[in-house]
Amino acid sequence: MSAPKTSDAAAFRVADNLAGKEPWEVFGERIRRYEIHLNRDEVEMTRGPVALEGYDIRLFRPRDGILGIGSQSSNDFSAEGVRAALQDAERSAAYASFPTSRLNLASGRGATGGIVEVLDRGLWEYPMDSLDGFVSALRTAFEGRKDFEVSFGSVRATLVETSICNSAGLRTGYGHTTVELEMGVKATGGPEGPAPGEYWLNESDRRLRPRELGARVDDWCRYAEDVRRGRPPPTGELPVVLPSPVLAGIFPVVFGGRFTGSARLRGVGIQPGMKLAADLVTIHDDGRVPWAPMSSPVDDEGVPQRRRTLLDHGSVSEILYDTLHAGAFDTHSSGSGFRGLSGGFRTWFRFLQPPSVSPTTITLAPGEGGTDQEIVEAARDGIWIQEIGWSSPDPVSGAFGGEIRLGYRIRDGELAEPVRGGTVGGIALAPEGLPSILTRLQAVGSRNTFSEPVSAPPVLVGSLTIGGEH
Amino acid sequence: MGELSDAEGDLYHTVARLAQRTTFVELLAEANAGLSIRHNGHLTTFQRPPRVRGAVFRAWTGSGWTEVSVSGLDPASLRFAEGAIERMLAHRPARENPPGESSTVRLEKVTPTSRPVRDMGEEEMRTLARDVYSWTSGIPDIHETEVQISWRQDERLYLNSAAARCSQSVYRVRGQVIPVAMENGRAESDRFVQGGVGGGEILDGLTAENARKAADSARALLHAKAPPYGRLTVLLAPSVTGYFAHESFGHGAEADQFVRDRSYLKPHLGKQVGPEILTIVDNGAYTGAWSEIYCDDEGHPAQRTVLVDHGRFTGALHDRVTAAMFGTTPTGNTRRSDVFSRSFVRMTNTYVEPGESSFEELVKEARDGVLLESGVGGIEDPQGGQVQVKARMGHLIENGQVTDLVSSMALSGKVLEFLSSIRGVSGKKDFALDTGSCGKGRTDFIPNSAGGPYLLSSAVVGQA
Repeated sequence: MSAPKTSDAAAFRVADNLAGKEPWEVFGERIRRYEIHLNRDEVEMTRGPVALEGYDIRLFRPRDGILGIGSQSSNDFSAEGVRAALQDAERSAAYASFPTSRLNLASGRGATGGIVEVLDRGLWEYPMDSLDGFVSALRTAFEGRKDFEVSFGSVRATLVETSICNSAGLRTGYGHTTVELEMGVKATGGPEGPAPGEYWLNESDRRLRPRELGARVDDWCRYAEDVRRGRPPPTGELPVVLPSPVLAGIFPVVFGGRFTGSARLRGVGIQPGMKLAADLVTIHDDGRVPWAPMSSPVDDEGVPQRRRTLLDHGSVSEILYDTLHAGAFDTHSSGSGFRGLSGGFRTWFRFLQPPSVSPTTITLAPGEGGTDQEIVEAARDGIWIQEIGWSSPDPVSGAFGGEIRLGYRIRDGELAEPVRGGTVGGIALAPEGLPSILTRLQAVGSRNTFSEPVSAPPVLVGSLTIGGEH
Repeated sequence: MGELSDAEGDLYHTVARLAQRTTFVELLAEANAGLSIRHNGHLTTFQRPPRVRGAVFRAWTGSGWTEVSVSGLDPASLRFAEGAIERMLAHRPARENPPGESSTVRLEKVTPTSRPVRDMGEEEMRTLARDVYSWTSGIPDIHETEVQISWRQDERLYLNSAAARCSQSVYRVRGQVIPVAMENGRAESDRFVQGGVGGGEILDGLTAENARKAADSARALLHAKAPPYGRLTVLLAPSVTGYFAHESFGHGAEADQFVRDRSYLKPHLGKQVGPEILTIVDNGAYTGAWSEIYCDDEGHPAQRTVLVDHGRFTGALHDRVTAAMFGTTPTGNTRRSDVFSRSFVRMTNTYVEPGESSFEELVKEARDGVLLESGVGGIEDPQGGQVQVKARMGHLIENGQVTDLVSSMALSGKVLEFLSSIRGVSGKKDFALDTGSCGKGRTDFIPNSAGGPYLLSSAVVGQA
């Protein structure tokens, strides 16, 4: 499917009630969700359809050089229900204030944003059968692995028809699918040696990919066994390699915290031209990466998606704006107005929350650091951090850090024994002139891997603080 | 009662019809009301909870549960849910009852307060937010302050085929002030948060003194030293103690982890795991605490469950199924983040009970180490028995004195080793509970609270 049918899309049905209420915007979703939950290798619960259809009305009320903005979400499509939502939104708009009188809503029926691959057609047509097939493939992939098991898991598929319209004439929409896979893979290792270890997966994708499970389960089992055998690292300042799963826990929050119109409005943002990273760092925010969960043809205000350059050879290039913040700074929306964001990830129903400015898929351009092996050789004596328990980045200070869930000691330029426990941390993004991991990058690898919502090669940081046992 | 009363008859009859097709069926319906304001020097925004009413039906298939959720309590939505459940049951007719105890509780409760917030609208909220904002304006280096105030009514109706009926309406009220200090491009923030279940009285804690303390703290962080790292003596402030309790004996004691054989605590049930001075409790019936509930989402009343009793691991948190497997009774800890999400065994208000020591005695006992303050959050590893807790700031402890301010830190360690190193717990006057939320994975967030007094032990810490 491409666009929702004009007659019955959630947003369009509501829009028919809004004559005389201009300027306005309606965001609608019709959602079906299906879930299979596993308790070890048994199906614990099937859920679905979870059927949810609703909309959010935003009203914009100019007064005295500012905008009063009010919004209200609802699942009541009756004339009375829409009227109640409108009343709530009007009441809020009367007391709210946003510092701009410029409002440049996306316009035009043709604002489709073009084709972006975000819909798994097989899943759309046969959701529960597709999930059943995926779970069967998962069980098959674990067969014969006597020291490994799934300790818990769920696969959840969400099928959404999104529709957006506004008083400037925009009427657009698209269908999309999201699959969330959450799982614990346990390495038991037998009665001798360390206690069982568990590797956690928490992934989102736009499609089910059961055929790739065999190879992926190999990796997951290896990681689980390494968690089991891992020991705390030494204490000290060491060279550290951070691959995409670790950067995925850091970049969305720190870039979302500083590279946005909302940060600029609060005075904590950054300015184009500032030198915030080493020359070898070029970072894009790309809303059109095929099959990426953060990709879409348009943002949640109907502005077409594109690739935005955040850092160009270490210097700030572009700031992200939604429609409102663009108005406050007399510029254009960058297509970065998104709803339902939580810690860098989107919730599966978005119409309940108003838009905020946010990055999509953050892409670190590959460098000349070579293969993973060459990056490890360059580190010489350090640690490859595969996973941080929770890197808890602070959007204000730029600090991040947490427990090492899984890492590998690097000795004499080779990956050595697994590391588990202890802490790693530092400053991810600092003001111009102050050190951060971005200024202290010594090498950027040459091959990207995707860890939602980041695509990046491994990077070598000159040194980071490791809190260990000895 | 409230927003759900008009639909109760249809909901009841739907459950009754489905009950003819299986041995057990239950439903949870939900509606919300509320208002929140966000105010800083540049903007004022309001948000209300969605006008979304919905319900989830759960039926026993004979070998597991099947669930269907709908947004809407109109007859068409309920017929859709009923039809979907019927189709699932047609494939798997149940003859046996589901494991565990079906609630037969009948309860109706609304949060009691002398100062209801239900009528607190935009104008009143804006006036309050502007007042709070003014308390930190003009303080040097305070670049901006964000004020957030909210109230929310969570109304839930639980019905089942065993005649249970639990109707609860919980009012949660919260205010927070987040001053941001800036100097030469470097930014630091701290916050003061006051929240709980109740009415307008909760916001009385939003005072100028508390707001200015948070501002002073943010300013001081601009010049904080880097924290020490490695294995150290650690003194946890109440909020950090709370995160430790939540992550270690909260998640580890959720009995669904026992069933999955992924809790390091399971073999320790009934055994001594810590010193006599340590008692950890989960208490959904804690009056006024942020995660107070009157009954859980299986219709079992909230209760106080002692997880660690004077150092002995005595109890776990149970839903009906895990309780049946372990030969005990449900503890009122089955919770859904909303009717569109599944239930799990979850915590409510989890805390370390006060001990006997004073703060000063603990600092002297520590001699050299670090005080971790202003808890930010944590993460647990129920399988490996590992825990991580993060603090926004701290102070060095040198020669039995609290000295220099240090910036944010993470604490990491094995829970059982941490417990065996506990050397003191401070008294009642230091006890505090925070207001937070907890997820399972990336989703399923629910209101949660954690807390305690000061707690002295040792662990690995490092910059974070």
